[in-house]
Amino acid sequence: MVVVAVSSPLGWNLPPLLETVGLRRVFDGLTAVGDVDVRLYRGEIRALIGPNGAGKTTLASLITGRILPTSGRIFFNGREITRLQAHERVKLGIVSTFQIPTVFRDLTVFENVVLAAQRVRLRSPQDFFRLREGDLLNLVQEVLDRVGLQGSWHRTAGSLPYGHQRLLEIAMAMALRPRLLILDEPTQGLAPEEITGLMGLIRGIAQETAVLLIEHNLRVVLELSHRVTVMDRGRIIFEGTPSEAELDPTVQQVYLGVGGGWN
Amino acid sequence: MPTPWRSILTLHLGILAALGLLQFVLPPFHLAMITRVLLFTTYAVGYNLLLGYGGLMSLGHAMFFAAGLYGAGLPVYYLGAGPGLAFLSGLMASLLLAALVGALSLRTTGVAFSIVTMMFGQVCYLVTISLNRITLGDQGLVLAGRLAPVRVGNWILPLNAPSVRYNLALLLLATVLLVTLWLVRSPFGRVLVALREHEERTRLLGYDPFPYRWLAMLVSGGISGAAGAAYALLFSYVGSAFAAVLYSILPLLWVLLGGAGTTLGPLIGVAFMTYAVEFASRVTSAYLVVVGLTLVLVAIGLPRGIAGGLRGRWWWLP
Repeated sequence: MVVVAVSSPLGWNLPPLLETVGLRRVFDGLTAVGDVDVRLYRGEIRALIGPNGAGKTTLASLITGRILPTSGRIFFNGREITRLQAHERVKLGIVSTFQIPTVFRDLTVFENVVLAAQRVRLRSPQDFFRLREGDLLNLVQEVLDRVGLQGSWHRTAGSLPYGHQRLLEIAMAMALRPRLLILDEPTQGLAPEEITGLMGLIRGIAQETAVLLIEHNLRVVLELSHRVTVMDRGRIIFEGTPSEAELDPTVQQVYLGVGGGWN
Repeated sequence: MPTPWRSILTLHLGILAALGLLQFVLPPFHLAMITRVLLFTTYAVGYNLLLGYGGLMSLGHAMFFAAGLYGAGLPVYYLGAGPGLAFLSGLMASLLLAALVGALSLRTTGVAFSIVTMMFGQVCYLVTISLNRITLGDQGLVLAGRLAPVRVGNWILPLNAPSVRYNLALLLLATVLLVTLWLVRSPFGRVLVALREHEERTRLLGYDPFPYRWLAMLVSGGISGAAGAAYALLFSYVGSAFAAVLYSILPLLWVLLGGAGTTLGPLIGVAFMTYAVEFASRVTSAYLVVVGLTLVLVAIGLPRGIAGGLRGRWWWLP
C-alpha cells in the first residue's frame, strides 16, 4: 500500500483556508455536530471519517451553507462566512459533491458542465447576455477530458451509469474552480477499478484545490489523504496522519466497537 | 459541437417567413383568424417563458395581458394617444405590474405560487370591474374611430385594415419569438432551466434563484402585456373579459398542448386550439366539450405537448 508522503510542500505554514470555531448544530435536541474546531490548509487532502451518524455530512453541510449552525463560527480564507448563504459560498470557492450523485438528469452532460463553467465567468449582470457558449468550450472540454466523459457530452445525464454520474458531478465541481472541494463519499457504489481511476483524479484535483474527503473506504483514505480527522457522535476524537489513525486505540475502538469496522 | 444555431435559426425564420407568405393565399376570414392566432401566440410565448422554462405555473397571467390592454387602450380612449405611445404605455404598465407581483409572489414556488398569482389575477380583474366609470367593466371600450393610423415615413397604415393588422401582429410575434429564443439559450436561460430541474443543486452551483425568476417574470409579464396592448390597438376593443380567469387558463392550455419549454410549442398550441374551437362550434353548440376531449386525448398521447413529442425525435429543438 502506497502512503502519500506527508512531507510535500503544503500550505501548513500559511493561515488555514477553512477554520471552524466551536461549531455546533442541534436537531430537535440531538447534537449532530458539537463544538467542532477544525482547520483545513491549502494544498491538503483531508479525510473525514467516522461511523454512520457521526456528523460528517452535517459538518460538510455547515461548511457549504446548506444548513446554518446553532452556534459557533466559520472562517474561510480569513473571512467570516458563518451566516453567508450557500450560493455566496460557492462564489468564494467552497464547492461540494453530494453523497447521492445529483445532476440535472434531463439535461445533457454538456449543459450540466456549462452551467457550472459559466458561473465563474459571470462577473457582472451584462455577462448573462454577452457570454457565448464558445467562450466556455475550452473549460468544459478540459474538465470532461479530465474525468473521462468527453465521449458522452450529448447524452442526458440521467442516462449515464451511476459511476459516470459521479464523475459528471466532479466535472461540474471542477468547472467551478473551487478552492475547497468537499467530496461526500465519492467512491460509494463504484466498482474497484472505477475507484482506482477516481483516486488518480482526486490526486490531480488536489494540485489545485484543498480537498475534504468524507470516505468509508480505508484504502482510499490511507492512500490519498495527508491527514485524517475522525468524528464520533458529533465530536472530533482524533486528528493525525493516516498511519497514526490506524494505530490509535480510540479510533480502533470506535470503529471496531460500534460494529462498523474498517471496510 | 454544442448548439446547432444554424438549424435552429433556419427553422424559426422559415416558419416566420411562411407565416408572412400565408397572407397572400388566405381568404379574409382566415386572415383575421390567423391575426388573432399570432397575437395569442405572442401571449403564449410570454407565458411559456415562465411555465416552460422557469417551471413556474402562474394562474393569473390575464392580469399582465389586461395591464397591456388597458395600459394601451385607456390613453387612446381618454387622451387621444397615438398607437406608438399607447403601445409603450401598455408595455410599461405590464412591466410595472410584473415587477411588483414578481417581487411578492416569488417568495413562493410550486402550488403556492400558482395560488398567489391567481389571487393577484383576481384582484386585477375586480379592479377592472369596480372602476366601472372609467373602464365600463364588462361592456368595455371601443377604440374604433379614436385611433390615428401608424405612420412609417411616407406610409400611412390604418390599423383597421386586415393586412396591416396581420403584418403588425406578425412583426410583434417575430420579435418576441426571436428574443425568447435568444434568451432561453443565453446563460440566463440555462440557469432558469436548471432552477426548474433542481433548485437545490442550482443553488449549490452558486446561483441565487430569486433574481433569475424575477427577471423571467418581468419578461414574461412584459411579453404578455405587449400582446394585450397590440390586441387593444389592432382589434380596437378593451374589456374586462380579458382580465378574467379564462384568459389566465387559456395560455396554460395553449402551452401545455403545444409543448411547454419549446419555443414553437405556443404557436402550435394556439393555432390548434383556435381552429379546434372554430370547427367544433360550427358542428355543435357544446363545442367546449369537443375541445376538452381533444385536450384530454393530447395529454394522454403526448404528455410533453406536440412540440415536446417532436423534440423526442430531434433533440436540438429549442
